[in-house]
Amino acid sequence: MSLPDSGLRRPDGEAPAPIWRFQVRWPWLDYRAHSRNLCQVLRFAPMSTRSGLALQAIQDSLVWRGFRVWQRNRDAFRRAWRVELGGIAIEPFVMLVAVGFGLGLYVQEIDGVGYAQFLAPGVVASYTMFHATFDSTYGAYLRMDTHHIYDAMLFTPMSPRDIVAGEVMWGATRGMLSAVAVLAAAMAFGLIHSPWALLAIPAAYLIGLMFASIAMILTASATTIGAMNNFFTLFVLPMFYVSGVFFPLDRLPETVQAVSWALPLTPAVALTRSLATGEISWLALAWTGELLAFTLVSFSLAALLMRRRLIK
Amino acid sequence: MATIIRARNLTKKYHDLTAVDGIDFDVGEGECFGFLGPNGAGKTSTLNMVCCISPVTAGELWVDGKDVRRQQRAIKSVIGVVSQADSLDPDLNVIQNLLSHGRFFNLPGDTARQRARESLEFFELQDRAQQRPDELSGGMRRRLLIARAWLHQPRVLLLDEPTTGLDPQARLLVWDRLSDLKDQGITLLLTTHYMDEAAYLCDRLVVMDQGRILVEGAPEKLVLEHVGGQVLDVHLRPGEKPQLMELLQAHQPDLEDRGHSVLLYGDGGRLLQERGTLEGYQVTLRPGNLEDVFLRLTGRGLRED
Repeated sequence: MSLPDSGLRRPDGEAPAPIWRFQVRWPWLDYRAHSRNLCQVLRFAPMSTRSGLALQAIQDSLVWRGFRVWQRNRDAFRRAWRVELGGIAIEPFVMLVAVGFGLGLYVQEIDGVGYAQFLAPGVVASYTMFHATFDSTYGAYLRMDTHHIYDAMLFTPMSPRDIVAGEVMWGATRGMLSAVAVLAAAMAFGLIHSPWALLAIPAAYLIGLMFASIAMILTASATTIGAMNNFFTLFVLPMFYVSGVFFPLDRLPETVQAVSWALPLTPAVALTRSLATGEISWLALAWTGELLAFTLVSFSLAALLMRRRLIK
Repeated sequence: MATIIRARNLTKKYHDLTAVDGIDFDVGEGECFGFLGPNGAGKTSTLNMVCCISPVTAGELWVDGKDVRRQQRAIKSVIGVVSQADSLDPDLNVIQNLLSHGRFFNLPGDTARQRARESLEFFELQDRAQQRPDELSGGMRRRLLIARAWLHQPRVLLLDEPTTGLDPQARLLVWDRLSDLKDQGITLLLTTHYMDEAAYLCDRLVVMDQGRILVEGAPEKLVLEHVGGQVLDVHLRPGEKPQLMELLQAHQPDLEDRGHSVLLYGDGGRLLQERGTLEGYQVTLRPGNLEDVFLRLTGRGLRED
């Protein structure tokens, strides 16, 4: 379960034992003792122990523990997937047909492509957002507050941070599933030709991670489930309309454009569109970087708030 | 007997409320140790500190030789917790509830499946494996909670009011299983406000009130020490009280006024009855029990939580 004892502390909890000339008092220094110990063990250990330690290192990682929580959500989803199918596959399909082909008749070509073709990548990114945020707000809040599932998890070696990691990984998976559904529909309509579009699937996972992390900030700080409604009406929906899903951003006033680029959906749409059309530039890296930065910052904040909420 | 849980000057404060006020206790391995006390006495706060979901404000707490401040994951992997609130997963069926819990402890898949089957059989739930928790009765849900906590073979099982809200049959079944677990050498740590439960299950217990430990010891020893072997219960009819009190004044027995009845502790009551002093009153002579100890120590005033 844990790394071999570093010998830093005596089992009876007296003051830390000196390991060098001075006493180690700062917790951030512990890793040196741990890694030194690990190196010693690895050097003399037989192969079987080495693989044992590797396994232990994996099991001690945040991603692995998050994966355990992810598995719980996957099992629950498997029992109820028929109910969820409509939201994942049918709704974005209707959107694509109604807006792309219906409204598209009245819209001239944008950037040299038909309107439906312009719209499709935006629908991929925004439905990823919707599904990731729905699961990590309403879904997660229900699990946490009504069903006390987080409480049960805290009685196991899971920490609040691990739980947030698992929820975010699951929210991203839900987002990615809907992205796959939209991409498949768009391909069936002949709106996507570039093989780069396959990379839009991992990109959707990253977009999902980002929006799920943002949503978990809200879940960790909400006092009622009604607080989620404001998040959708004041943040998610306005963002949906000004992030380049329906029209290119350069049609907007410059100040609105500046605000738009500070919103998380804008780089998500831009990245998905460039992958779907196959027009890749170095900018794609910058957008990926922006998504990663949003993800890391919001995840850390969400984990912190969740800790404050659950550990009293 | 090796000590598996040790607390020294353990304190828990929430803002300006002191929930646990510097308590000391030792729990031996394989023992059933109880926390008895009214609501708000600090029992659950103490338990939450032992299972590392509530940080210690001051003092020391060691579980299985590990410090709760530093080695929380290591501690959490050797304890099993049955919480007061029902935290079964309604989205999963009974067996999935167990398997999912096993994953959090990194139990390998086939071990987890085997352990889950054994747990269900032990708690007489094997026919319910494919049902959802909402389809189970209250007693079954509680047994499933214990089965889940027991799944990874913890060394210590923490139970927060394990039989609150259960009917007598369901309670008996839970007690029976907990006794079996104790026979297997698992350390049990439980909170309760049922005196019969504490007397039936606990080897040793502490009575807590307002964050402090009032007394500690084996149930029968506490009864002998604090209320004597026997209690004479004088049930009062309207208007009898002043008269009785006057009568008792002369004898100065060890007594407690409980409103509609007066309890005479120890041999005093029995002697008075034998001498015929209490002729005409409605009296019952019965063995002393933990409830007497508890009410005596915590005062009988009804508590507002």
